[in-house]
Amino acid sequence: MRMGGGSGRPSGRGGAAGRDGKGGPRKKFFVRRRKVCKFCAEKLEYIDWKDVKLLQGFIPERGKILPRRISGTCALHQRKLQTAIKRARSIALLPYATD
Amino acid sequence: MRLYDIVVLVTPDLSDEEATKVAGEYKKILTDGGATVVKDEPWGKRRLAFPIQRKKEAYYVYWQVDASPAAVAEAERRMGLSDQILRHLAVRVDEELKRSAKMAERLKKKAAKRPPRPPAPPAEPATTEPVAAERSES
Repeated sequence: MRMGGGSGRPSGRGGAAGRDGKGGPRKKFFVRRRKVCKFCAEKLEYIDWKDVKLLQGFIPERGKILPRRISGTCALHQRKLQTAIKRARSIALLPYATD
Repeated sequence: MRLYDIVVLVTPDLSDEEATKVAGEYKKILTDGGATVVKDEPWGKRRLAFPIQRKKEAYYVYWQVDASPAAVAEAERRMGLSDQILRHLAVRVDEELKRSAKMAERLKKKAAKRPPRPPAPPAEPATTEPVAAERSES
């Protein structure tokens, strides 16, 4: 009883690890969508720091940069995104922090 | 010569014309230094994401210039001294653009090389739709 509940709950991390190991579909409920790097999918190589609309999608309410593990962005593009966001912040296009 | 993206924030206390005039001074420094202006886009008055010097808005002026590093450095130095410029940012973009063009080229070539491989994985816009086929692929 408890075991079943425990394995079902940590859907995020446990699920990802389990999937890596077996490769098959895991729990019956909760089919998690595979995250795809937005920039790879749309073949956007250059991330423009002046494109506020694009960058805003990676800025949650608090004003922090959305982590890779949530957005699914690949390492290369996350790095580029990061510098783009930081540049945009320096000229007040994006907030450093909001409350 | 190098390509630069330059964004300048001018105080909102000025009128439209005055702001463009102030920005024009710095453009002149660049052109005097041998720069050619590729793009000249005033974004107009914009809300700042956070207050700068107690100001909540600013005139944004954007240029893309093909300039020598010395000219850009001089223009940036003078911007720093001015009270009417709240912020300024100059970023060299030619290399980044070249690199990304190259990457795009490579991606295109790769796609052309083996067309039967990718079984059409278009970027799904919807997030709710659980895709079983996509899962098994990894």
